[in-house]
Amino acid sequence: MLKFNLGAMTRRSLFGALAGAVLASGFAGAAQADDKITIGALRFTSHAPSFIAYEKGYFKEEGLDVELKFFQAAQPVAVAIASGDIDFGVTAMTGGFFSLADKGAVKVIGGMMAEKQGFPGNVILASNAAYDAGLTTPADLKGKSWAMTQQGSSFHYMAGLIAEKNGFTTADMQLKALQKVGAMIGALKSGQVDAMAIVPHIAAGLVKGGAAKEIGRVQNLGDYQVTTIFTSTRNTEEKQDMVKRFMRAYSKGIADYLAVMGDQKKDPAATEAMVDLIHKYVYTDRPREKAAPSIKAGAVYLSEGAALNTKDIAAQLAWFQKNNLAPASLTLEKLVDTNFADTTN
Amino acid sequence: MDLKLDGISHAYDATRVLNNIDFTIKAGQIICIIGPSGCGKSTLLRFIGGLERPTEGQVLQIGDPPAESLNPLTYIFQDFALLPWRTVRGNISLVLEDHGIRGTEADTIINDVLARTKLSDFGAALPKQLSGGMKQRVAIARALAVKPACLLMDEPLSALDSQTRELLMDDLVDLWLKEKYTACYVTHNLNEAVRLGHRVVVLSRRPGQVRDIVDIDIPLEDRLKHPALLQEKQDYLWNLMREEARAADLELLDA
Amino acid sequence: MPDLDTPTTVQTPSAAAVKPVPYRGGGFAPRPSRLVAPIFFVLLFSLWEAGSRFGWISPIVLPAPSEAFQAFMDLVNSGQLVLHLEASLMRLALGWVGGTVLGLAVGLAAGLFTLARGGIVPFVAAFFPIPKIALLPVFIIWFGIGEESKVATILFGTFFPTVIAVYGGVDNVDRGLIRMGQSFNLGWWSIVRKIILPGALPALLSGFRISASIAIILLVAAEMIGAEYGIGAYILLAGNLMAMDQLVAGVAILSLLGLSVSWLIGRAEKIFLRWRA
Ligand SMILES: Nc1ncnc2c1ncn2[C@@H]1O[C@H](COP(=O)(O)OP(=O)(O)O)[C@@H](O)[C@H]1O
Ligand SMILES: [Mg+2]
Repeated sequence: MLKFNLGAMTRRSLFGALAGAVLASGFAGAAQADDKITIGALRFTSHAPSFIAYEKGYFKEEGLDVELKFFQAAQPVAVAIASGDIDFGVTAMTGGFFSLADKGAVKVIGGMMAEKQGFPGNVILASNAAYDAGLTTPADLKGKSWAMTQQGSSFHYMAGLIAEKNGFTTADMQLKALQKVGAMIGALKSGQVDAMAIVPHIAAGLVKGGAAKEIGRVQNLGDYQVTTIFTSTRNTEEKQDMVKRFMRAYSKGIADYLAVMGDQKKDPAATEAMVDLIHKYVYTDRPREKAAPSIKAGAVYLSEGAALNTKDIAAQLAWFQKNNLAPASLTLEKLVDTNFADTTN
Repeated sequence: MDLKLDGISHAYDATRVLNNIDFTIKAGQIICIIGPSGCGKSTLLRFIGGLERPTEGQVLQIGDPPAESLNPLTYIFQDFALLPWRTVRGNISLVLEDHGIRGTEADTIINDVLARTKLSDFGAALPKQLSGGMKQRVAIARALAVKPACLLMDEPLSALDSQTRELLMDDLVDLWLKEKYTACYVTHNLNEAVRLGHRVVVLSRRPGQVRDIVDIDIPLEDRLKHPALLQEKQDYLWNLMREEARAADLELLDA
Repeated sequence: MPDLDTPTTVQTPSAAAVKPVPYRGGGFAPRPSRLVAPIFFVLLFSLWEAGSRFGWISPIVLPAPSEAFQAFMDLVNSGQLVLHLEASLMRLALGWVGGTVLGLAVGLAAGLFTLARGGIVPFVAAFFPIPKIALLPVFIIWFGIGEESKVATILFGTFFPTVIAVYGGVDNVDRGLIRMGQSFNLGWWSIVRKIILPGALPALLSGFRISASIAIILLVAAEMIGAEYGIGAYILLAGNLMAMDQLVAGVAILSLLGLSVSWLIGRAEKIFLRWRA
């Protein structure tokens, strides 16, 4: 129990306080045995493989005693991993994440969510007013205002993708950082911003309710590795075996998810069973019949075998660096450890 | 202008404070009101100046105040009530401004009252720079500036040390000799009463009633020349008050 | 211990021990010193810098002060500092002045009129403790995502403490002075203007001290909504990017802002409250 040296201990506790402030639930237990690990999770359908592998005992099979810790946002997960308070997490590529990777704290070890044609994915929405005024395709976004959570967030990057694809830059758009998805939705509904991108199940609700218009999909803009699996640099160096076992179990979870949620009509009974499983963790405040449609609509594509699109990651890094949102000194080698999952492209 | 107190009685909620007070303040006279503490002297003075209304009876003005009087009934307070953020001149100008008196007209009045209260050199001083006696002289100057028909003074010297008190009493006497002002002077100090009062109204303990009204016939300027006579008057007043004061004291302890 | 039963008074005075009375006063009166603060700061920063250089303090935890200073100089040299300051000072000024003017009017009403007090005091008690950040979504709907919502956040934040300071200040004005004003037949408005307001000024100025600090605290919250420039926006971005050096630089700018405001109000107190004993 007291094997840590003092320096490590202080760093841990400092970060513990930082991460604890945003912890949604869970208790702080010290990781002791090699096979006792903690996964930082968010209550999203896109995090389903964590829940599936946990519920179906895939982690146990690999000799991993897993504890799930729930967070409200992705950034604190990265901070908690940097501090060593948790071992694995899933996050979008953000400025903050790049910065932690540059400081040698975290490493990407696999791919998770990706935009893929035929699967639900991020939707580009226009406000009703902007749509009526002629904003009907992503190409029209030049000169328009764009809602995002923060600078350096994936919403910011999506604006960059759209701009690049259509021959302009984000400097030609008015980017509005509104901190919260709820604020983004409110601003779009009231016409205070012209457009934004949002996960499919929320988009569906807004479009169906007549609050906004769909003008495109991010998946049509090209390859995009939205989220990745990551761990601490120390784990990739000192506990390679444990990381490998984790990835095997996690890939099984992804495979199960894809088999069922990827084609929900194939086996309705299996789909309902998986919705039940996911509902134990996601939308727990809603009754099952209300949660199910959102879970089903939010079944985005997850990379098979946790394969990582390194080419796209490199492209993302380059874009962030070009826009001064990632440290110039960060390299792909420093960001990614390719020993634990296949890479595509 | 005379003032007549006509059957004044007062109660704060259930406490009777004053009971059927009758007397007259004659123009050009100083009336002293003495009585044990808590008997309603300050309350009575507030009625006379119109700052409060008695539950029964009324205060009557007999005759009109002189036309030049800006504020016929003017108070001088125990705690001076000077605005600390205004200079001496500013404090006097305060009471002129609302009468539309500004500029040279105001300056003339201010210079005049400062000279009469021997404050000419202190016009620019702030109250915090002045001693207690000086502050009270500023308050007197301010009162004189509005040409009062009757000065209402509530223990004006009680906050001062005894030497300063003597000096100010001399000033008040000198001023009266020159200007023959009318005043109603509340005090619990018998010496002040016999030095300044043409007439002394003695109130009983609460509820305050008029125990006696004592006239002092010695002219103000001659009073210090007749210490024995004064002492006699003072002893007489003290005899009237002793029992009242003792009873009032016990009453306060009981409460 | 001398034996109490044996008479000791036979001793001659010269034989008795002569010593000064023991001193028991002193202390409890810290004096301001010009020397202590600089020395303390230099010491703290050297320790911090050394800690970073020698790796006792991980760069993830805290950047070296020299790095934070470098981030600050980058901000100066790129010309961005002016843009950020301009945006923030504008919002601070508008929000604070607006909140203060409204607060003065409402606080004065609460201090002077029974009816107003009955309505205002419970209202303020109910709304003051609400964190303005919680109201951000509402502000977006009411005021949009432009300057209005940012100014409104600061305005609301400064309004309530000003109301409290004003009516508290009015309550504390010496009633004797007001009575004096009435006894000299001063008009109602004269009494308010010449007696009540100056009398409440000390409380007002210390209220300003608090409301200005609250305005600076709220700057970050205000600039959460769609701000491109502003010190708060700069700090938020630094946080998003985990750029600790910029974060520390931004926070240092806020504290410098706080110090300047405090100094200004100190000057104002020296000038306007000269009359205080
Ligand atoms: N505003 C008031 N409300 C209630 N009681 C009062 C008020 N003013 C004075 N009293 C009471 O009336 C009595 C007379 O007070 P006061 O006139 O100040 O006495 P004095 O000046 O003779 O010492 C005291 O018992 C006092 O407590
Ligand atoms: Mg009294």
